[in-house]
Amino acid sequence: MDPSEVEFLAEKEVVKIIPNFSLDKIYLIGGDLGPFNPGMPVEVPVWLALNLKQRQKCRIVQPEWMDVDKLEEIRDLERKEETFTPVPSPYYMELTKLLLNHASDNIPKADEIRTLVKDIWDTRIAKLRLSADSFISQQEAHAKLDNLTLMEINTTRSFLLNSLNCMYKLRSNLQPGSSRGKSQDY
Amino acid sequence: MLDALSDDGSNISEADDGQEDVMTPAELIGKLEEAWLNEKFSPELLENKSEMVECVMEQLTHMEANLQRVRKGDVKASVHRMEIDRIRFVLSSYLRSRLQKIEKYFPHVLEKEKSRADGDPSFLSPEEFAFTKEYLTNTETYLKSVALKHMPPNLQTVDMLKAEPCLDSFVFLRVRERQENILVEPETDEQREYVVDLEEGSQHLMRYRTIAPLVSTGAVQLI
Repeated sequence: MDPSEVEFLAEKEVVKIIPNFSLDKIYLIGGDLGPFNPGMPVEVPVWLALNLKQRQKCRIVQPEWMDVDKLEEIRDLERKEETFTPVPSPYYMELTKLLLNHASDNIPKADEIRTLVKDIWDTRIAKLRLSADSFISQQEAHAKLDNLTLMEINTTRSFLLNSLNCMYKLRSNLQPGSSRGKSQDY
Repeated sequence: MLDALSDDGSNISEADDGQEDVMTPAELIGKLEEAWLNEKFSPELLENKSEMVECVMEQLTHMEANLQRVRKGDVKASVHRMEIDRIRFVLSSYLRSRLQKIEKYFPHVLEKEKSRADGDPSFLSPEEFAFTKEYLTNTETYLKSVALKHMPPNLQTVDMLKAEPCLDSFVFLRVRERQENILVEPETDEQREYVVDLEEGSQHLMRYRTIAPLVSTGAVQLI
């Protein structure tokens, strides 16, 4: 999966905006939005929030978890624990990137948030590499991956799955008479 | 003018195994996204969902027809257009990933289609079936005209290489309905098989073969 497709899914998350225009309710196929009144907070999907922001029609309210104190706590916990800790949003990385790139003027301490989220991400990816390594070296057949986000899975997906498939082919070719090991490609 | 856009989209009824499933358009889009991810990540071609695809197409055409009546530069219309583009992207990506699998495994796909019992639902939509057959004929004609007819007579037949999807590939999945006692086969001869319970909401990495039936029932979602 392309990272941009994961970002596409993240854009469905809901974020609060403060519009500076007024508009009746919009009846979208995926649900109703609005009504929009100047100064009144309203919840919209991120894709719409970013579009309105680019047209200077709204101010984006940062999600509750996008806060220096809360993120520091999460970072410290993530460093302390050996397993993956719960993340504040299933799309924390994508949302941070999207919102900070397009609406950093609406988000106080944007730079600190960026660094903190990057720290959390780096810690988690390091853990992910370690566990992928032990998964392969112990030849496991099942792994539980709670608290991993789609973006994190996606960074390791093609490499990990391809390696596992290659190892499977090599191993089944070792057993003589086994037809299961035939190459799947032509 | 605004009336054209204030269309809530009435509920869609879908006849499925004789029973009526009533879905809201929002649920329909949710289903499309699930099917998209499942199709993207499963090694084999999944059941066709032509009914769902038709419903989505209907919604899109309906909305586009409404938008035709709106003057240019309307704010609401631009929001609707953006949504339509997003849905269309998912829909095309879904259909494209099916076509990619068909092109890769066409002899296998056709064989499976032939050996299917009369009552069973087809894996291919009528359009996909026509495409697969045409793809097979075209490949055969191409091989003949480029190489086979220049071969000695006894070598002029070709058995299409049967590429099969590798069901033993690993997949990532999220559990939607709790499952008990899923058998995990060992990787090596020294290991023993064991069972796991899949808790609702948990995520796993395991072989596709083990959980393939759960994907089609919707109990697990590939991610």
